[in-house]
Amino acid sequence: MSGKEFFLRRYEKLGWKPSDVKLKQAIRINSTNVVDDEETVKRLQSRGIKLEKISFLEKGYWISQAKLSPGATTEYLLGMYSIQEAAAQIPVSLFTNLKDKIVLDSCAAPGGKTVQLADLMHNSGVIVALDIERSKLAALANHLERCRIRNTVVYQMDARRVAELGVKFDRILLDVPCSGNFAADNNWFAKRSLKDIKANAGIQREILAKAAGSLKNDGEIIYATCSLEPEEDEMNVDWAVRNLHLQVEDIECYGEKGLTEIFGKKLHRSVENCRRIWPGQTQGFFICKFRKGG
Amino acid sequence: MKKITAFAREFGAKLELRRNLIVKKNNRYFLVDEKLKPFALDNFYFAGIYLGKVKKSKFFPSFELLRIIAEEGKANQITITERAEWLFICGRDIFGKNILKVKGSTKRGVHTLVMSKHGDCLGFGRILHDLKDGVAGVAVKNVSDIGDFLRRERQRR
Repeated sequence: MSGKEFFLRRYEKLGWKPSDVKLKQAIRINSTNVVDDEETVKRLQSRGIKLEKISFLEKGYWISQAKLSPGATTEYLLGMYSIQEAAAQIPVSLFTNLKDKIVLDSCAAPGGKTVQLADLMHNSGVIVALDIERSKLAALANHLERCRIRNTVVYQMDARRVAELGVKFDRILLDVPCSGNFAADNNWFAKRSLKDIKANAGIQREILAKAAGSLKNDGEIIYATCSLEPEEDEMNVDWAVRNLHLQVEDIECYGEKGLTEIFGKKLHRSVENCRRIWPGQTQGFFICKFRKGG
Repeated sequence: MKKITAFAREFGAKLELRRNLIVKKNNRYFLVDEKLKPFALDNFYFAGIYLGKVKKSKFFPSFELLRIIAEEGKANQITITERAEWLFICGRDIFGKNILKVKGSTKRGVHTLVMSKHGDCLGFGRILHDLKDGVAGVAVKNVSDIGDFLRRERQRR
């Protein structure tokens, strides 16, 4: 069970027909490192990078024209902005009241969302950033240093071992490893099968379960994937609601409501509070905000 | 700790860092705050503000440490033109004609921070000829610049 036709048929059954997918490059301004967002936009414009505000993001801009690579400007090297796909900027923005909180970023590398967290926290509180792959930690550290992040400690650690830290967190970001989607990867259809999607979904459930155990009462978890496959998205949320005593909070952001019926199977009605983003200007994404009951 | 403050003195700056908030991991030094310190256990990879590393007894500063030294106020600094800015970031030395402003020592051999016209610290260099004399050719040798972030990324690919 694999191949382009197989997956496209699945998406049709879920109510989506692949339309034109034209991904646009986006940046996010790191407010902590700039005096004025508009001034940064002007500085980039003077270098030949034209920006257009993204309507559904507070700090996000589309790159509408670029005479040079946005990853090779003085402003980029000074940490004034990060190159971050538009949909990927949404999850972190959904946390409430981040200032002074103890936050876990459980699958952090290469660090785009870690930097966004620190920016929203104004470098207050603490971020514990984990990643299992040693080879990715250097890129994460480079990103933190470039963006002048001061409140983060990084460990090489499997997110499923988070309990070993002995910390209870106020907020947890689970940007879990996933199967990805075809919009961001030209070879996606050739290399993915339902079998490995189910394997990934299993790992994601393990990560979710361990995170829920390390979350304070009334704490928040943002669960995000860039997968379009319901096994990794709505079905995992449904499982978490039924097994981990987590509640799905309603979120207001770009995207469609989560699906509550998947291939004939009815899911918990609160799953519709999630957001599913089909590829278009952005890549595909899925976002859920959980709260742990008191 | 001594190596860090001695490095700052090379720019004519006096740094006052709290010793108990500096944590060391192998040859790398980090500055943490009271809140972060309990989270920086023995096996961390990165914590707080990276200050720099010691290799073969020599101290290599981070760019954040250079910014801290710049903020201290008394450090040697030169401000360069926009044209020279990208050349410096690409690893090139600085010609005298591209220096807009000099603060602190102008003497040959001393270290100086290199600033953009917007006041951003781009790295540091070593003065090759006394800057008071109006140098015609290369005036400041590039020692370290923020283009290093890109070079590190490319090395990893």
